[in-house]
Amino acid sequence: MESGLVFFLQLLGSGIAVGCLYALIALGFVLIFKATEIVNFAQGEVIMLSAFICYFLVTTFHIPFFPALVITCIAAALLGVLTERLVLRPMLGEPVFAVVMVTIGLSIFFRSMAGILFGHNNLVFPNPFPSETLKLGGIVLSQTQIWIMVSTFVLITAFFIFFKYSRIGLAMRGTADDQRVALLMGVSVKRVFSLIWALSFATAAVAGIFLANVMVINLGLAFVAISAFPAIVLGGLESIPGAIIGGLAIGIIENLAGGYLDQMIGGGIKDVTPFVVLFLLLMFRPYGLFGKKEIERV
Amino acid sequence: MKVLAIRSKTFRESYKEDIRLFQTIWIKVWMGLFIVFLSLLPFLGDPYVVYLVNISSVAAISALGLNILTGFTGQISLGHAAFFAIGAYGTAILASRFSLPFWVSLPAGGIVATVAGLLVGVPCLRLKGLYLAMATMSFGVVIEFLVVTLDGLTKGVRGIAVPPVKLFGYALDSNETLYYLLLSVTALCLITASNIIRTRVGRAFVAIRDRDIAAEVMGVDLVTYKVMAFAISSFYAGIAGGLYAYLMAYIHPEHFSFLLSVQYLAMIIVGGLGSILGSVFGAVFITIVPEFIKSFAEGLSRIFPVLEGRYDDNWNIAAFGLMIVLFLIFEPKGLAGIWGRVKTCFKNWPYTY
Amino acid sequence: MMGRKMVMVCFAVATICLWACQSFAERGVSDDKIKLGLILVKTGPVAALGIPSGQGHGDYFQYINDQGGVHGRKIEMIWEDDEFQAPKSVAALKKLIHRDNVLTIITTGGSQQTIANMNSIQEYKIVNVPNALMREFYDPYNPFIFAMGATYEAQFQCIVDYIFNDLKAQNPRIGVVYTKKEYGKIGLEATRERAKKYGVDLVSELVLPTGAVDASSQILTLQQNAVDYVITCDVLPPIISLLKTAEKYNYKPKKWFGFNWATDDMIVKACGAAAENYIGVNYFGAWSDDNPGMKLVKEIAAKYNRDEKSIGLTSLYTYGIGVSMLYVEAFKRAGKNLTPDTLKAAFETFRNFDTGGVLPPLTYTDKSHAPPEVVRFFKADVPNKRLVTCTDWRKPRNL
Repeated sequence: MESGLVFFLQLLGSGIAVGCLYALIALGFVLIFKATEIVNFAQGEVIMLSAFICYFLVTTFHIPFFPALVITCIAAALLGVLTERLVLRPMLGEPVFAVVMVTIGLSIFFRSMAGILFGHNNLVFPNPFPSETLKLGGIVLSQTQIWIMVSTFVLITAFFIFFKYSRIGLAMRGTADDQRVALLMGVSVKRVFSLIWALSFATAAVAGIFLANVMVINLGLAFVAISAFPAIVLGGLESIPGAIIGGLAIGIIENLAGGYLDQMIGGGIKDVTPFVVLFLLLMFRPYGLFGKKEIERV
Repeated sequence: MKVLAIRSKTFRESYKEDIRLFQTIWIKVWMGLFIVFLSLLPFLGDPYVVYLVNISSVAAISALGLNILTGFTGQISLGHAAFFAIGAYGTAILASRFSLPFWVSLPAGGIVATVAGLLVGVPCLRLKGLYLAMATMSFGVVIEFLVVTLDGLTKGVRGIAVPPVKLFGYALDSNETLYYLLLSVTALCLITASNIIRTRVGRAFVAIRDRDIAAEVMGVDLVTYKVMAFAISSFYAGIAGGLYAYLMAYIHPEHFSFLLSVQYLAMIIVGGLGSILGSVFGAVFITIVPEFIKSFAEGLSRIFPVLEGRYDDNWNIAAFGLMIVLFLIFEPKGLAGIWGRVKTCFKNWPYTY
Repeated sequence: MMGRKMVMVCFAVATICLWACQSFAERGVSDDKIKLGLILVKTGPVAALGIPSGQGHGDYFQYINDQGGVHGRKIEMIWEDDEFQAPKSVAALKKLIHRDNVLTIITTGGSQQTIANMNSIQEYKIVNVPNALMREFYDPYNPFIFAMGATYEAQFQCIVDYIFNDLKAQNPRIGVVYTKKEYGKIGLEATRERAKKYGVDLVSELVLPTGAVDASSQILTLQQNAVDYVITCDVLPPIISLLKTAEKYNYKPKKWFGFNWATDDMIVKACGAAAENYIGVNYFGAWSDDNPGMKLVKEIAAKYNRDEKSIGLTSLYTYGIGVSMLYVEAFKRAGKNLTPDTLKAAFETFRNFDTGGVLPPLTYTDKSHAPPEVVRFFKADVPNKRLVTCTDWRKPRNL
């Protein structure tokens, strides 16, 4: 194959892998926002905490990777339930601003607790997958990247089926649609909220564990959530397919910008491009690509 | 009984009385006492306290600007640090490269920030809620990028050294001398903001916040007032940025990260949305409480020598985070809400209400 | 008229107050104690850089105290956290000087914190050794800042010299991966300029931010441009992901280079075989060195129950001990009458002062506090998971 084409496809491939990570992060945000209209600023910290937990499970307790992943997800889900019960439930019915601020406070708290519990050293996750890479027609993909794509796909399909066919999934959709009506129909909104936070934190845990595989684990991992913001908004804050498409789009845009624009313009244009794209997109579509457009009446 | 009667006189007989700056004589008295206390502070406290007051008054001006946009007009901004940065860089470049005096470069910095505010405000008119927050955040990221990249203008990551303020031939190069300047600018900003809020413009802002369509129906021009809110807010941020540049005497792109925008948002929410006083409370809270916790922890380790050397500073920050959480669970209206409650409590004493 | 008079009176009173504060003679020194301050980050994402060197300072002072202190005085170090933010560093400085009444502050944070504190350093005569180096610190002469090590410029000049003289590269294709921080920008410019002197232009200049999720596009670009000497101006975490990504794409340049913040055994421990061609420059000793200075460092670490794993970045622990050695030596030379001025004078008596290999030999005079501008090269020893010294101290060549 021509080298220019290989270069492009290679960028595309790694872009999709990173995009899947962004999509997972975005999914965590969207789950909570859809049901409760809260942007959870502590999501990044959950990602970081789970990376640490999984690291210590694998290295200190010598648990194989996949069981460790499951345990971490359960731990994160418990943390989600606990957070919802102790912090968010007392805030039910309070102005959204105050609730968002509470999540900012939580993020500060979680971050420093991570410092206390896990220390500040840069940790490197022992690679759980064989280090041989796969070659697909000239494109090189590592096994980690393949696993990231597969698990994102599996998770999303699972969520899709869960929301579409299960009873509790239906209850969640109902709650997201109209809380009062859901209550009237006999849905326990409190339990739905607990479950939503648990699911969202577990998704964040999966994202965190895979991030730990491609990055160095330290407290800075929490800030990855900030670079995933464009992905969340691009797709529209209320839309699960939007989160996926937004994530993939941002991953690909970022990599293409890094591969082509960075050589032409230089100066790290890679990291701002997603934000520029987001800004421009919002000018034309004020609710993202798939966001719910509110029709207002007075 | 007479005293009681005076204290509880809060009946207003006209609109004019309702929007008066100082509602009762007592407020004037307390204000006076507070001003006297503040002006004596450099002689009472140590320079550490003076510096903290300086830094919080800069934060207060900036938070006030954000409160006008977010608290009063309901337009959420996560890019406030960008306007702060533009003001700081505007002032710093004018002062260091063109050696313009303080009274030119500071307002000029504010005006540059205002222009930037207009540039963002106009395209963001259609955006609402979190989408607006994300658009302003993107703007913030772009500005951060530009400040680092355009190093011909901003000196990039090397930062700019800012010459001291010169007033009447004196160089205000210490914290103590800058203190009075900062305090008077802050007072000026507070008074201006209160005046904006109690006039037609302010009422239009509040109407937009409460229900923009209803406001439009009642004759509030959404375009004009939303853009105006952006402009005023970024002017305040710009002025605060300029003062910050003079106070630190050195600015660097890393001082103006996205986290600073989050901090300003934290200030106004903790302080109280839609409250002038709340902005000040919030700024003071977010700036001074971490230092207070630090001193407290040091005191603790003096009492319990076991902690000496073993104490982890992360606990200070954890305590700060936890404080924000607990405090908002207890009082979602923020510090201004608590202040209001304390005031009513005093006013109605000995009755509960 | 009245207002102006008032202002003048206020200024007068304020000045008197300031002067009164200044005239506190023996700041931070009593018959049995010397109080020192340290402002260094110990919370948040960059704490990995601050904690090891702070522990190094603390352990060495403890070690000296256990031996009876200096001139009968025990050293007490008060360590303030600045969260790597300039405003907090300024606050911490005021607190240390006015509340804790310390003699001096070892370092006031990173380079931008030091610049933000420049006026206070003059005003309160804070004798300090900044832990990051910029030309502004010693040029023009600054009486209270003692620059140590090698500037970023010098380090990158040495790296380019190494490529052309030691590796004898013919028409090398040099690429730079940097971050948009002071060191990244300075490193990029220095490398570009130096390479030009050898008649070579840089092939790629790529940005890799500290918190980057993915370095694929950078590696692919380097690969496409067939870069065979990659010079990184970044801290450890991004370089680790860079090296690991390179391994994935089977991209093998002839050499990787890194500067002092990224020259630590950690890189070999983290990357394993991917770090095989890594060469770092640094101005303090490596853990693998076997000279008297490093033996002492390891002895102190063992005494206070620290091993390589708990320290994290051992190079910075070494740095902490090295700088503390300078202070203790200066306290010894200053004698009984210890004030900021005598401390400064004591520092200025250093002539090729040798720490036994922990730091390069140091010379300060009352005309110049310039750093020695020397570095050593370290190469990766993959089987033993460490970096080993491969050259002696060297300066950038005169071109």
